[in-house]
Amino acid sequence: MANFDFRMPAEMTVHTPTQHLRAAPTADWIAAIRGRFPVESHLDEVLTRKLQNRAQPVEHRTDFDNLAERLGAWLRRVTGQPDLELARLARLSGGASKEQFTFDLTWRRDDGARATRKLILRMDPSESIVETHRLREAQLLRAMWGEVPVPEVLWVDATPASLGHPFLIAGFLEGTVQPEGGKKASGLGMYFEPRLRDGLKDQFVRHLARIHRVDWRNRDLSSYDRPEPGTLQGNAWSLGVWERVWHEDVLEEHPIMEYAADWLKRNMPVVEKPVVVHGDYRSGNFMYTDDLRINAVLDWELAHIGDHHEDLSYTASEILGCPDERGTLLVSGLLPRAEFLARYRDHGGLPVDEDKLFYFDVLNAYKMAVIAVATSLRTAHGRRTHLDAMMNLLSGFGYIAISKLQHLLDDAPRAAQRDLRKQFG
Amino acid sequence: MGPEMSQFLSGMKKTMEQVVLPNLTDRFAQEQAGIVAATLGFLEQIHDKVFHYELLENHLYRNLLNEVIVVLDGATPPQHEVAVTLAALREHVVSDPTGSDMHLRPYHYVRSANETLKEHLCTLIRNQPELPGPVRASFDALLRPFFRELEVRERAWVKPLGFDAKADELPDIEELLYCDGKLRLPDAG
Repeated sequence: MANFDFRMPAEMTVHTPTQHLRAAPTADWIAAIRGRFPVESHLDEVLTRKLQNRAQPVEHRTDFDNLAERLGAWLRRVTGQPDLELARLARLSGGASKEQFTFDLTWRRDDGARATRKLILRMDPSESIVETHRLREAQLLRAMWGEVPVPEVLWVDATPASLGHPFLIAGFLEGTVQPEGGKKASGLGMYFEPRLRDGLKDQFVRHLARIHRVDWRNRDLSSYDRPEPGTLQGNAWSLGVWERVWHEDVLEEHPIMEYAADWLKRNMPVVEKPVVVHGDYRSGNFMYTDDLRINAVLDWELAHIGDHHEDLSYTASEILGCPDERGTLLVSGLLPRAEFLARYRDHGGLPVDEDKLFYFDVLNAYKMAVIAVATSLRTAHGRRTHLDAMMNLLSGFGYIAISKLQHLLDDAPRAAQRDLRKQFG
Repeated sequence: MGPEMSQFLSGMKKTMEQVVLPNLTDRFAQEQAGIVAATLGFLEQIHDKVFHYELLENHLYRNLLNEVIVVLDGATPPQHEVAVTLAALREHVVSDPTGSDMHLRPYHYVRSANETLKEHLCTLIRNQPELPGPVRASFDALLRPFFRELEVRERAWVKPLGFDAKADELPDIEELLYCDGKLRLPDAG
């Protein structure tokens, strides 16, 4: 059998000095990029760790032969229960950002009773399509417990010390994420048949309105920076993190992205009332039971405190939608945009400003392009995930996001004129 | 030299779809094998156009940047990042002038040149706020039509990946690259 050499050709997409620095960041370059963009402190921590790790070109391995032993040892240590038993560890399919496993754990609960429960382990790969913080995810899931259906978080280790990568352990929930025939990468633009739409759409909107009304100031969200109401701060962080990620990860520059970043800075609105923003609220990120009850809102890793318009625009964005049988585009494959916004208001959501929605249409297209063109290709380029083939494929979605961005920027002067007409009657 | 690349790719895709996938029992492995098959299908459609795509990009970026040099010339002090970038661009244009033998260069040379041109253009865009108003307006007037063509070209390229709900409305990449059986290089004489 031939002895294949899997090392990357030196010239592969590393042609310019900037590309070299992105591929093998120096301490000075990391310091410069950290100083350039405003981001929340815990996000700065994970992004900086990503860059420091990138300087060590280690291919991500998908061999988890001894994961059960290491996980079991960690659980015995944190619970103080040497007789705890871990069984049936298995990798889950689906998802794009984290490695996920299910396992059965038998241990003594707080009430002293010994019980077996199926749990899920969410673990960072070496580099993820979205680099996020497991403590933030755990804190937010706990803050949302009892407000909207979410998995119960049991343990979290936001450091790579124990299993080699940060992880979170939560209760496993049975349900459907992707309906039969709706298979799409990461659930993007999924199709729901009419019976499913009728059963799910109102809950889908109601939970979003509820998320935006949660009094986050009274929860333990210590890993979240708190933007001042009535300032640009929250939106500056939202743009800052994606602009930083673009410049850290992109394989080759793109002029539309640079142009868009400039537009977003010049047109940034203030955040009147900061709320919990889910950050990835769409089909593929909720689960439902056979009797059509949404039993979990998933994937909170992009959540932050910011402007509710960011969620509304993202959820309603054209490229995450799916047309119905007559060709009408449906928000997340569930309901038309006007109905989505009307139901959001009916469920006590915050006031909706169409002009702010336009700003966030641009920001969200920018964000999707950062994720699917810059980071997805960067992780595959460095062989840093368990999904390298999928990461390459996702760039197809990213270029559609750049196309959307271009159309929005073309429409921006007309949108601004609409603003003036509104302002001056 | 045979077999052609398309034959290699088509053979691998068929084996993946008809032999490997049906015999996999692990869902994660099935999912990943499906993605590998889809990737092979994409490569079948674009592999013979990659070099011409880069050659066209090189031509278009150079055309644009030649105009940008004229518009931005003298707009900032000599030490400003805009002036420094323009100087680097002029050097680039001298080493590979329009009409040069770029088509005889290896693929990675063309690709490298394109990445350099893109970085220079992005540096200039990033510095837009510091340009005098009329200069900025002229720069913007050059960028807008360039962006419209770029967006269509990129979407046409990734169309076979199957993410585009409006794929039917898009041209195939072949239509954009070729005219009368030859690579379409606008204003090439």
